[in-house]
Amino acid sequence: MNVTPLARRPLSCLKTSLLRQARQQKMFSRSMATEVQAAAAAATSKTPSQGPDQNFYRLVDKKTKSVRSAFALYPPPLAAAGKPLSPPSTTNPVAALHDLQIKKLDPTGARTALFARTREAAKVGDILLVTHRRGGEPFAGVCLSIRRAGIDTAVLLRNHIGKVGVEMWFKIYNRNVAGIEIVKRRLKRARRARLTYMRKPKHDMGSVAEFVSAWRKSRRVFQTKGAKGKAAGQGGQGGKKKK
Amino acid sequence: MAPRLAPAGAGLTLRLPLRTTSPASLLRTTQFHTSTPQSVKLGWSTLPPRAKPTRFNQVTSGLPAPTAGPAAALKRKAQSTPVRAGVLAIKKGMTAFMGLTGTRIPCTVLQLDRVQTVLNKTRKDHGYWAVQVGFGERDPKNVGAPMLGYYEAKGIAPKEQLAEFKVRDEKGLLPVGVQLMPDWFYIGQRVDVRSNSRGMGFAGGMKRHGFSGQEASHGNSKNHRTIGSAGPSQGSGSRVLPGKKMPGRMGNQRVTVQNLPILLIDNDLGIVVVKGAVAGPKGCVVKIQDACKKPPPPEEHIEKTMRALKERFPNAEEHLQQARERHLELKKARREKRIEEILAGGWEPTREQAEMMERAAAEDGA
Repeated sequence: MNVTPLARRPLSCLKTSLLRQARQQKMFSRSMATEVQAAAAAATSKTPSQGPDQNFYRLVDKKTKSVRSAFALYPPPLAAAGKPLSPPSTTNPVAALHDLQIKKLDPTGARTALFARTREAAKVGDILLVTHRRGGEPFAGVCLSIRRAGIDTAVLLRNHIGKVGVEMWFKIYNRNVAGIEIVKRRLKRARRARLTYMRKPKHDMGSVAEFVSAWRKSRRVFQTKGAKGKAAGQGGQGGKKKK
Repeated sequence: MAPRLAPAGAGLTLRLPLRTTSPASLLRTTQFHTSTPQSVKLGWSTLPPRAKPTRFNQVTSGLPAPTAGPAAALKRKAQSTPVRAGVLAIKKGMTAFMGLTGTRIPCTVLQLDRVQTVLNKTRKDHGYWAVQVGFGERDPKNVGAPMLGYYEAKGIAPKEQLAEFKVRDEKGLLPVGVQLMPDWFYIGQRVDVRSNSRGMGFAGGMKRHGFSGQEASHGNSKNHRTIGSAGPSQGSGSRVLPGKKMPGRMGNQRVTVQNLPILLIDNDLGIVVVKGAVAGPKGCVVKIQDACKKPPPPEEHIEKTMRALKERFPNAEEHLQQARERHLELKKARREKRIEEILAGGWEPTREQAEMMERAAAEDGA
């Protein structure tokens, strides 16, 4: 491509070597200049005595462009430590409050990780088991929805107890929730955020008791032998039963 | 001045001069008075002689204090007026406060942003005691000239919002220009939170006042959510009584939620977390003040907060005084059209501002 213009304009090769280089140098020097100017501007802003109009707000007449009036503008007063009044450290204190509380209630970060938006985390459609702190039967059920709201994050579990559909909300960071475990993962990712259709008879999963007992059995195996293959096999078995 | 009527037990003899009302007889009655020899006595009185002689023969002297009027009103309301000023904040949203014992408390997060005292209102100058408090920061281009002058005289940067908090007496007044932080309150304190509720726009009777509406059927036609009759007809005046509940603008009214306990305060985040809900949408401005139906905060807390203000802003009064003096100068210059000269001639910073600049320079150097 470059051959024909070279033949027509023999000096065109100079363009690439000399001219562009010079332009680049110019660009570089220009950027240096702007930097210096910015620094100078910053310096003047800190010393109002130098600039005559610092700390004044001028009301300018639109037609004549003359200063109609001007008012002194005061910087925010200083606190004793020499720190000026500054806006609070965050404009989203609700999130900061969530972090504060989560740090206190979930120091290991296990609960946060369990319901984070990651591959390994629990998802809707998984069967979860929640144990209470103050005794009582642990509640297991299929997770219909996860309401993520910082410290107020909650999961909705659905199960059948005595042929009656039962749904319970659990606040995952609540001290009354001693533990949350994934009993069985859903085989395919649910394509809804909230599986409310699972309340319909056609899609209702029914009791999850058998999954829980199977999971318990596998855990016992785990404890004695520590075989990983068994756990995977258990997952496949569960899948067969489900569909 | 009309002679005062004698009490019932005063007897007939005292009423006699009333019947014979002539200047001569009135003058003779001066023997009833023993006090105030300087004043001219044109009437007579059976009231006990005044403890303190007054210059003028005032009708009110010797009477009990009036039960109406500004002083009486202030005295009457003193009981329900908080001792201290409050703060302005922004509603940031609701969340939960998880206790360590498994309790979950719904709470509202209110954030304070550069809350400063702007003005003290006094009984002498304004008729009542109050503290004007400013919130946030406003770009000066969005502030009118009168308010720019006002802030100039106070020596503070233009504020986003201004509000005033009535206080019981002069003990509640604060130094001007100091910042109120969330630790103005303490955890567990009860506060009243005032804000404007969410505006609903023009709403019908069912939504606005909870009317039942009308039937869906039984011959009803196109009147399912209307309010129906507005009152009885002839015989009752054929008029709509004042105050009849009707469709109209709903919401955006000031709502006070009383006695909300404070769950958390954080100076760094600038937040006050109160239990329960507060009226209004997220981002609305709320006023937080000590609950008027609870006893005021303990003396130790009040002293602690006042001490903290003094420590944080030791030269607030000087700053205000300097700002006032400078404001008078500049005001004069503006009147005399000399403001451009001042702008061109440079500006010598006040001592405090010079100190601030030095400190800033030192920080830069370090």
